[in-house]
Amino acid sequence: MTAAGIQTYTFHVKGMHCKACVLLSESELAEHPKVVSAKSSLRTRSVEIRGDFGDRPPEDIAEELSAFLSEHSLSTTVHKRQVDWDEFGVAVPIAISCAALFVLLQEIGIVNLVSGDSVTYGMAFLVGIVASLSTCMAIVGGLVLSISATFARLGDRTKPQALFHIGRIASFLVLGGVIGLLGSAFRLNSTGSFVLSLTVALFMLALGINLLDVFRWSNPLQPSMPRFVSKRALGATNLTHAFTPALVGGATFFLPCGFTQAMQFYAVSTGSLVAGALTMFFFALGTLPALALLSFTSLAVRTRTKQGVFFKTAGLLVILFAVFNVVNGLAAIGVIEPVFNW
Amino acid sequence: MKSIATSVLLFVIAAALVSVVAVTLHTRGGAKAGDTTQTNVSVVGGSQTIEISAKGGFSPRDVTAKADTATTLKIKTSGTFDCSSSLTIPKLGYQTNLPPSGETVVDVPPQKAGSTLTGLCSMGMYSFTIRFE
Repeated sequence: MTAAGIQTYTFHVKGMHCKACVLLSESELAEHPKVVSAKSSLRTRSVEIRGDFGDRPPEDIAEELSAFLSEHSLSTTVHKRQVDWDEFGVAVPIAISCAALFVLLQEIGIVNLVSGDSVTYGMAFLVGIVASLSTCMAIVGGLVLSISATFARLGDRTKPQALFHIGRIASFLVLGGVIGLLGSAFRLNSTGSFVLSLTVALFMLALGINLLDVFRWSNPLQPSMPRFVSKRALGATNLTHAFTPALVGGATFFLPCGFTQAMQFYAVSTGSLVAGALTMFFFALGTLPALALLSFTSLAVRTRTKQGVFFKTAGLLVILFAVFNVVNGLAAIGVIEPVFNW
Repeated sequence: MKSIATSVLLFVIAAALVSVVAVTLHTRGGAKAGDTTQTNVSVVGGSQTIEISAKGGFSPRDVTAKADTATTLKIKTSGTFDCSSSLTIPKLGYQTNLPPSGETVVDVPPQKAGSTLTGLCSMGMYSFTIRFE
């Protein structure tokens, strides 16, 4: 093979939307025997390939090389960034149906399933289950969905979610014990709660809009790492990825979910480390099935078309939840009249 | 085309669900509005007592009470573990966690005629409003 035989081709990469895509496409293309080097660009969504393909037309080369790509495909024409509007045709009604089912679930009065005077650990677990099906879903569930969908889109599926749930349950166990022991309400006052829920809602709004894939934003969760670092990290665990989900999961202890606060109040009243810890632990455990179901739906979606619809649906639901939380938060501090009431 | 048919079908299902929700909300709201007799407000001597129960929301949601009268709010809970146990009344700067079962007393200073007092759960989705006349 002489140097004269090596030519440079530029192909448009379809499906490139994140830094991981750049590294992935480059490493996969480099595996082709005829490819000497491959350099992808996220900004132009294209890849520059140097290799010796003889006289073959670019379209053929693009097709052959696409077979080496697991998540993308190559084409010779550079389209303008396309928004898959037809995916909205499926995503919008699904999101609306989910929202309607959510409202129906509250209307049925699911909260009335919990009754009784004393709080046993079994009761705490039951309250957790009811809480995860009620409007607490809008706060914590929305957060879970927005994070898991965003991580799934970045290619990181199982680990961040597992870390979120572990972080949440661990935090409830530990902090439950803390408030039980200290006997002081580890709770924010209404201004603090409002600020926190507003921050969470804005964060969710950003993630939700990003999931829709309509605007050309860089992904909010990925920090900029120099390429030589991320190249080595491709196979290994990204440090930020490892800690953020666990921390966010742990922070859900402070979110103003009424059920959580009711349980925390009881935990404080026990004045005991063990009782406080176990009460909050079983409560968190009760919320786990619904939250896990929500977060792991992103795993069930495999094909590329289904993924597109899933992320748009998730994005729409997350935005709805975020707006719901903002409206409720404003009502709770008396800025506006309550809008939702059931 | 398959994708359009799928979309249309999904929109129909969504519309059906939304109408079910709308009907449910409407009938629920109507029942409450038709209830004109109010039994939870009583005035003895110069002081007024308003009783409100908190469980899965507040009941009744709309109360009419006397203005310019010293008022006591009695919030009753019975096996209440949901958001309504986390009560906040922004106008009074009042915030508390109600016990799962029992009665909690809140002192309300005399309110001007035409004013309203709203109590909400900490998440803002359950509320009651007292109109003072």
